[in-house]
Amino acid sequence: MENNIKIQIRNLWFYYKTISMLEGINVDFPENTITSITGPSGQGKSSFLMTMNRLWQCIDGASVKGEVKINFGNGFEDINHQKYPLPMLRRKVGMVFQTPNPLPMSIFKNIAFPFKLIGEKNQNKTFEKVEYALKKAFLWQEVKNRLTEDAGVLSGGQQQRLCIARALVLEPQVLLLDEPTSSLDEISAEMIEQLLLKLKKKCTIILVSHYMDQVKRIADTKFILSNRQLTLQEE
Amino acid sequence: MLFKENIARIVFLSASILSAVATLLILGFMILLSLPVLETGMIWGILTDPWSPDHGRFGILAMIVGTVYISSFSLLISFPISLGCSFFIQIIHPDSPGRFLKLLVQLMTAIPTVIYGFVGVFLLVPIVRKVFSYGSGMSILSASLMLAILISPTMILFFSQSFARVPKRFLDATEALGATSFQKLFYVILPNAWTGVFTGLVLAFGRAMGDTLIALMISGNSVVLPSSILDSARTLTAHIAMIIAADFDSIEFKTIFICGGVLYIMTSCGILLARFSVKKRVR
Repeated sequence: MENNIKIQIRNLWFYYKTISMLEGINVDFPENTITSITGPSGQGKSSFLMTMNRLWQCIDGASVKGEVKINFGNGFEDINHQKYPLPMLRRKVGMVFQTPNPLPMSIFKNIAFPFKLIGEKNQNKTFEKVEYALKKAFLWQEVKNRLTEDAGVLSGGQQQRLCIARALVLEPQVLLLDEPTSSLDEISAEMIEQLLLKLKKKCTIILVSHYMDQVKRIADTKFILSNRQLTLQEE
Repeated sequence: MLFKENIARIVFLSASILSAVATLLILGFMILLSLPVLETGMIWGILTDPWSPDHGRFGILAMIVGTVYISSFSLLISFPISLGCSFFIQIIHPDSPGRFLKLLVQLMTAIPTVIYGFVGVFLLVPIVRKVFSYGSGMSILSASLMLAILISPTMILFFSQSFARVPKRFLDATEALGATSFQKLFYVILPNAWTGVFTGLVLAFGRAMGDTLIALMISGNSVVLPSSILDSARTLTAHIAMIIAADFDSIEFKTIFICGGVLYIMTSCGILLARFSVKKRVR
């Protein structure tokens, strides 16, 4: 079983200023599965996701105690260790937010942006990867002739798929999704569900969602976050 | 409700018209005061000649060059420092260290210019003299350094405000993609805070050009065209202050209105150029 575990969390505490939002969480997330986290609003679901890519460090007043270990292929590494390089972690653990957040640049530049960050100079390689990511996110057909247009002109569903494509372009091993379909219509939401089911073959997906139907349809393991504790939801 | 809105609209419209009219009135006033000199046909000579009243030459070219040098150098020095400070305050450490630094910067804006002048005369000038072993130390370099410190709070506060207005969702997206702090600054923050950064630059440039005391106390007030940044120089504002204190009706005195007019045109051109560049970039 240990071999199939991708993320191992031990005695994780999350504080916002002096208030504890998560208390002593112990959980394992299996590789190449979709794990859902549901629960009432304001219980710290988004904060919990952020403990897996250390994005909590951007929240003023937030602090974390405990171990978050991820196996990127060389055994488990504690990502909370101060010396663990943050840019590298966030390239291996992609994240998609509740509200689509394309950057104010063209569609192509949005997807190619992670390559710019890693200093990739090969234009052909970048273009190939952008095309690959857009195809993976079922967006290529819709935007292949408008790559130079501003990403802001896309519809909400297209923008969210663009954000997923951007998160996928560097081929992360873990994908964190914070209610990715909450601002989308039914058809766009269904497209994203199909996309996630395909992605799990190559990626470990942690999905925060409010939609129980969606969770039933796509999640392999289901958790509820309530009263600062994460509990496994039985079928 | 509609009545209140109409009243507010009239008040704001009147305030805008008043500001525009005041600006034009000042320009008209400057032209009117310059008329006696303009009528003599000496204007070309005043703009290009050296300043030598004993020989009947009242040129202000050296002062124009001095003003451009000192204000440009001060801007060159303070721009990267202000950019770094604002980045520290708003992005790297928006918590306690950033807040403390911002408080210090706000305090700096309240310090009277003459205090900066004293620091310049008694601390900076001797250092420049010792380091470069050239002249008295009262030079374009000393004045530019001191002026850079004087104008940087304006820029830091403006830049910080414009950084704060960059939508958080852009910053979150960039963070989640693994950008370093500097990548965040250059790829996301600066392109989206460009207008505010430019406005801060223009205001600081205006302040540097219009400052009298620092130049008067530190630049050495030489009326000869400077050939290096270690030379002394006199700015237009310092020149006006020196002439107005000693005279009131000679041709020398009347040339100060030409100095004022030149300053007015130079700052207006700077602002228009900046606005044009911002518009072009935004488009």
